Amino acid sequence: MESIFEKLWRLGPAAFVLKAIVVAVAADALLLAFILLRRTYRKRYFAQRDARVFKWRQQWDDLLSARVPYSAWRANVFDRRIIETIALDGLEAGNPEECARILRFLRFSGLIEKRIFEARHFTGWRRLRALVALGRTRAPEGIPALAEALRGRNLEARLAALRGLGRTASPKAAEEILAWVGEKGLVVPALPLQSALIQCCAERPQLLLPYVQSATGPLREVLGRVLGEVATPSLGLDLLQFVGDDLDELRAAAARALAQSPSGLAFDVLSELARDPIWFVRLRAIVSLGKLSDRRALPALLRGLTDSNRLVRLRAAEALVASKTEMVPVFQQVVATGDRYGLHAYLTAVENANVLAKLEEELQSSTSLPADEKGRLQNVLRSGSLLAEERASLPGFSIAAARP
Amino acid sequence: MIRFLDISNHTLFWYYLASNLAYLVMLLVALKTSAAHQHRLESHRLAWIKESPLAPPITIIVPAHNEEASIRVAVRNLLELDYPELEFIVVNDGSQDRTLGEMREEFHLRPVRAVYVAELKSAPVRGLYRSSVDPRLLVVDKEPVGSKADAVNAGLNAATSPYVCIVDADSMLERDALLRIMVPILADPKRVVAVGGIIRVLNGSEIANGELRRARLPRKSIEVIQVIEYLRAFLIGREAWSQGNMLMIISGAFGVFRTDLVRAVGGYRPGTIGEDFDLVARLHKHLLEKRAEYCIHFVPDPMCWTEVPSDLKSLRRQRARWQKGLLDVLWLTRGMLFRPRYGRIGFFALPYLWLFEFAAPVIEILGIVTIGLAAVLGVLSRAFFLQFLLFGYAFATVISIGSVLQEEITYKRYNDWQDVVRLVSYCFLEHFPYRQMHMFWRLQGIWQYLRGDDVWGPLKRKGLQSVSVP
Repeated sequence: MESIFEKLWRLGPAAFVLKAIVVAVAADALLLAFILLRRTYRKRYFAQRDARVFKWRQQWDDLLSARVPYSAWRANVFDRRIIETIALDGLEAGNPEECARILRFLRFSGLIEKRIFEARHFTGWRRLRALVALGRTRAPEGIPALAEALRGRNLEARLAALRGLGRTASPKAAEEILAWVGEKGLVVPALPLQSALIQCCAERPQLLLPYVQSATGPLREVLGRVLGEVATPSLGLDLLQFVGDDLDELRAAAARALAQSPSGLAFDVLSELARDPIWFVRLRAIVSLGKLSDRRALPALLRGLTDSNRLVRLRAAEALVASKTEMVPVFQQVVATGDRYGLHAYLTAVENANVLAKLEEELQSSTSLPADEKGRLQNVLRSGSLLAEERASLPGFSIAAARP
Repeated sequence: MIRFLDISNHTLFWYYLASNLAYLVMLLVALKTSAAHQHRLESHRLAWIKESPLAPPITIIVPAHNEEASIRVAVRNLLELDYPELEFIVVNDGSQDRTLGEMREEFHLRPVRAVYVAELKSAPVRGLYRSSVDPRLLVVDKEPVGSKADAVNAGLNAATSPYVCIVDADSMLERDALLRIMVPILADPKRVVAVGGIIRVLNGSEIANGELRRARLPRKSIEVIQVIEYLRAFLIGREAWSQGNMLMIISGAFGVFRTDLVRAVGGYRPGTIGEDFDLVARLHKHLLEKRAEYCIHFVPDPMCWTEVPSDLKSLRRQRARWQKGLLDVLWLTRGMLFRPRYGRIGFFALPYLWLFEFAAPVIEILGIVTIGLAAVLGVLSRAFFLQFLLFGYAFATVISIGSVLQEEITYKRYNDWQDVVRLVSYCFLEHFPYRQMHMFWRLQGIWQYLRGDDVWGPLKRKGLQSVSVP
């Protein structure tokens, strides 16, 4: 009986195999040649580039002040790219004065104009590169071109434009982004949009309010989160309308934003939000209460310490440790909650903040506590746990201890 | 007998052709994808991520068992990573050497009572320590179990960030590795649930102060061949599978996962051999059952450098263990095969692994034997066989050189001409006798698994210090 190889040989694929060998060997040779040629080319390219970078860096001041005429380098793609890269890197690292100088140079040399043209007329990766460069310039005249790219069909280009607009950090860019999301909805992943809006709305968070009110679904969540990040005391009462909102994200955003509000207004609302059925709303409220650093937040923070969610407990404990109150009374109240998870979270926060020795010392030198109470607290602090009978005798123990 | 030989030769021929074609397709996909990735990176400026207030916190979990030789350098290297908000948890898995002592000296550890809720199964914790030098560093000292899964679970219990990054103690991350690995997550945090980075071979490279100073090719042949294997596996295999959202392995040495999901699937499975593969398989299963829209990514540029075995004995053990791990997980996920509910994982990824990963050593070794027999019995066309062998050799070399090319045009970490020439030479040399030995080790792994021998043998390591330069 014939083997498979015999059959193939007779049927013809032997010729195919021979061809395949030739192709495979040729592919090997081509790949090798490509690697070697590419290496050689790149070695020369980088040597040349390094030399040009060195030359232009030496003449950087002359370039910025146009003592080296623009015509001396603008037509040469190699030099133009190098100079643009140096300028854009300079914009990211320089002080405001230096940045203004570089921006003026980019404008007068026509580099920004060129990038605007490329962002409008090129396609694919070349457009993407132009959008990124335009964003890096932070030039306001680039905003319309970037905004146009937001309406393009290519997701990568939309994202590059969004990042670029975020980079400009200007309210005008925020208006463009908000107008676009108002028109198209959420057509990019949430995080880049959020990030861009945070940068652009920081100066004028009020811009967000009409859009948050009118938006629906996931877009409303995103805008709510942005509002939470950028809210300033100036928003004051405007935020209260979101405290009772149906959307969890928006209540959380309101809680976050209220950390920036005048204390009197914020306490009651935040204490209420700290009882919200949704854990991340409670978390935001607890963190905000902590930021307010006020004695009046203590009851809500102590309640947060017995929360069913681990993160809420941890943040409440951190806020309690960071609060500007005496440590011993707070510790006494923590022990009084009878919640071993809460106590654990509090001690963790104390240790992480490296104030354990301070608490021990304050406890030792405390004169307001009866001797047996002081001894009991010292025992708890030393052992890190509540005594069994104490836990059992305290109301709420069974509920708290059962929580993960 | 002759009929059997004929069937066997048929099988071998088509199998070999299919396997190589699959790799060729993967190579083409990978070349296209990594070119696109390079362009895409231009719009993700890493410095912007570093400044972003929205970059989610990450907990880095480092399981360590008898790592006294490398633990100082490894942890120091991690503490230097660029990322806005990090927490580090080193889990000392009952080391019998001075792992804990080394860390105590280097990072001035003090005992703490940090929150530790044993949500995931893990051996009892003996103590928790926080560094006075860098408070972000927490050390969990636990009873020994000798399994990485148990140690990682202990770390997960203490983690407080929404993302966890699991890193091996004998590995070294590049400074911007976390910024790079988070790019897909930051672009689409709702869908991207896990991301793997590339593992590169550290042997032979120069390290100074916990950082890779210069990537060099190792001296030993066996190590250089592993460099090619890693390039092929990551830059071709994982890159291509990731494109179809069918990535089944995120290396245990470096990967980022959503903490809530890892906890939801019960963390690492204790007693498992291939814990990294197992975790990703269970994540797929969990998410597909929930009909969630998700994505598990591979990113080729965040680099993790790791020491690979430098002697045959350790390499044999490692490869046998990998094969056992593969079979273990494939067996556990057999219920996902060809079930519409599990979509492309059930119809493509898992069958591929069964056919071309698990069965490869069995079929190849069987093929060598039957071809030998056929030659002896005179039912083999020697001319055609030699041609076929030559074709197979040249084709496999194309794939290997393709992975080197991929490295060259994208990341180009080996800058010395000498290194490239050696790397390319080994693309021609790895097929004999290394490939046959490798198949035999994998066969041994299958045999050991079937026999119930799942002992995790120790690998001989030099430690990160030994490859350092002052």
